Amino acid sequence: MKYQSQKVAKLYFIAAIGLFVGQILFGLIIGAQYVWGDFLFPEIPFNVARMVHTNLLIVWLLFGFMGAAYYLVPEEAETDLVAPWLATLMFWIFLAAGAATILGYLLVPYSTLAELTKNDLLPTMGREFLEQPTITKLGIVVVALAFLANIGLTILKGRKTVINLVLLMGLTGLAVFFLFAFFNPVNIVWDKYYWWWVVHLWVEGVWELILGSILAFILIKTTGVDREVIEKWLYVIIAMTLITGIVGTGHHYYWIGTPEFWQWWGSIFSAMEPIPFFMMTVFAFNMVNKRRRNHPNKAAVLWALGTAVMAFLGAGVWGFLHTLAPVNYYTHGTQITAAHGHMAFYGAYVMIVLAIISYAMPLLRGREAANSNKSQVLEMWGFWLMTISIVFITLFLTAAGILQVYLQRFSDNPMPFMVVQEKVELFYVLRELTGFVFLAGLIVYIASFFVGSKEPEATVEGEVVATT
Amino acid sequence: MAQAFTKAMARNIFYGGTAFFFLLFLALTFQTHQVVPERDNHEAINEVVALGKKVWEENDCIGCHTLLGEGAYFAPELGNVYKRFGSTDAIKAFIASRPKDGVPGRRSMPQFNLSDEELTAVAEFLKYVSGINASNWPPSPQG
Amino acid sequence: MIGMEKNRWPPGDLVIWIFIMAELLVFGVFFAAYAFTRAKHVELFDTYQLTLDRNAALINTVALITSSYFVVRAVAAIRNDDSRGCFRWLLAALGMGLLFLVVKGMEYQHHFSMGINLSTNTFYMFYLSLTFFHFLHVILGMIILLAVALKARSGGYSAAEHTGVETGASYWHMVDLVWMILFPLVYVMR
Repeated sequence: MKYQSQKVAKLYFIAAIGLFVGQILFGLIIGAQYVWGDFLFPEIPFNVARMVHTNLLIVWLLFGFMGAAYYLVPEEAETDLVAPWLATLMFWIFLAAGAATILGYLLVPYSTLAELTKNDLLPTMGREFLEQPTITKLGIVVVALAFLANIGLTILKGRKTVINLVLLMGLTGLAVFFLFAFFNPVNIVWDKYYWWWVVHLWVEGVWELILGSILAFILIKTTGVDREVIEKWLYVIIAMTLITGIVGTGHHYYWIGTPEFWQWWGSIFSAMEPIPFFMMTVFAFNMVNKRRRNHPNKAAVLWALGTAVMAFLGAGVWGFLHTLAPVNYYTHGTQITAAHGHMAFYGAYVMIVLAIISYAMPLLRGREAANSNKSQVLEMWGFWLMTISIVFITLFLTAAGILQVYLQRFSDNPMPFMVVQEKVELFYVLRELTGFVFLAGLIVYIASFFVGSKEPEATVEGEVVATT
Repeated sequence: MAQAFTKAMARNIFYGGTAFFFLLFLALTFQTHQVVPERDNHEAINEVVALGKKVWEENDCIGCHTLLGEGAYFAPELGNVYKRFGSTDAIKAFIASRPKDGVPGRRSMPQFNLSDEELTAVAEFLKYVSGINASNWPPSPQG
Repeated sequence: MIGMEKNRWPPGDLVIWIFIMAELLVFGVFFAAYAFTRAKHVELFDTYQLTLDRNAALINTVALITSSYFVVRAVAAIRNDDSRGCFRWLLAALGMGLLFLVVKGMEYQHHFSMGINLSTNTFYMFYLSLTFFHFLHVILGMIILLAVALKARSGGYSAAEHTGVETGASYWHMVDLVWMILFPLVYVMR
């Protein structure tokens, strides 16, 4: 850590991990409700628990992105943050607003929350992932503006690197496209059409710029490869991302009342969306192979390589599986979608946040470069437990989805939804059990922050193998 | 000596490609706006349907159900529920009759205590959605 | 070194080739989709193909081939250190590109005045999608050629270093090549 103001990132990272735990606990609750339908009913109905599960995910990833920005922007710009106090203030505001919203979900019926927060004035609630009360959404905008101003001015003041510019573009895009969350016409076709401008243009658009720039930063730091080379790759990857991903939005416009030309445009462009993810995998492994030094923080390198692989599998391969319109006709809105969602979010966004935390946290806690070996070994156990779990969760959901598609839609005598749900229950049981393994992995991961802190730092054994 | 692979070129392609494809996306969006009125059943939208959408949203129905395939996958698709149930009365009766404490061992829809006006509205909303031309989706009446 | 420069392969910046391959992949998939769909609706496609203006498309084919030739001359000129020649040949190529846009624009004008759009039928969906997507590429290619031409005029390239000219030329040839497939496929083949 070179600049004092980078320290503010620590708060954000701690909050991110804390909320991550909450997300997983609620994931286990809804996973259990898939198996025992009356679990916690009527105290915590499925829709409330799911809302908590998905909203916590989004909020903790945002905490992670902001922490990442506060950490890497000063270092890249070679200057302190213009207003560290604002970053701290916004942290508490965002955390308080987030906590109040989650408590609101849990403590009062959703319709009461809508009434209490005057949803009537500007109705934006009750849409998937955008369930937050309008006032919370406005709060998010305020926090985002303050955040963007803070890092934007820091970037302007200091050295302008490609990583900083791409990160800033990604974060600005995130804020701009969020504004579509306030557009909620009665006409459900337009509601859905522009809802995707938030959701798709986030996760398959601007968020990938954030992912790319954080990954590039970690690779520069851990491999010592020439910045020029890494920045070139970064540009090529994000160019490919947006070239395929923007029109690729069309893969959500097949069956929501939008015209049928989208079936062609959406299929063709979204079929190309795996390309940038594949390039990212090649990129990460290439850079690590060409490394000029062995970084003592092996865990961080593992997370960086892991995110490249898992993003390709989850977003690329599992996305491609059901992106073509003739396939999507049968798989749309089934457990196949859930399977893809789990691995894509974990691979692309959870892992990149954990990667930057893994890289930055030891430095923020006063280490020279890395945690002790003992701590890293535990962290890597956490990595493997969580990653293997998510692979199996995805496989089980995919199996459930294939059966669901066949029984409910494809066979000669389609069965009702609930009958089919009972027939695929075995896979929900397996998914839930795997969920507990994931939780175990998360506990091990968190434990890694508390063990071996008195032991000496890990060092690099052996000489650097210069491969060309 | 020229480099075979320059950063400037990669940067130009990023900016140019992004602008190009975003404009293309806007053009396709414009085209979508031209055609959607023929497919979106907007004739059916009235104050009752608008209230119905509000009831739909303020009870977070999307947190369990899908609507035209989007939402959660815990409960049945509702884009075609009007066709599956056959009438708005059947929809109203179903929602109104949910047991307050659920069904032992099984999934159950919560009892939302909706007024008759709200029940009518949400049923009319679902009827409106069923009239949208969704390119023959869902593939089976079971959703 | 200069000798090596000339024989370097591929010509132009390597990045542009990654994207040329990606673009050809997209067009290739679009063409394949067209071919498969046409096989399923031969009558529909044959009927509406007749509403297209083949003469206009032929003029456009000639325009693009000519422009590609001019671009080749521009590259040859800069290899002889002739910046002004390079600039003039590029302007000529741009003129041909402009001709393409005008002719294609008139065709679109005709279709749109008849109320035809992407949702009219499957044939028009493909016809408009393919040609419009290509049309945008012509515009983009022209912007690139214009940038290259302006830099050439101000003496920004030389026989030793003209990667930019080769890069722009490569892209323009790709745009031309796509039309060479598009024209017979959509306008002529029955």
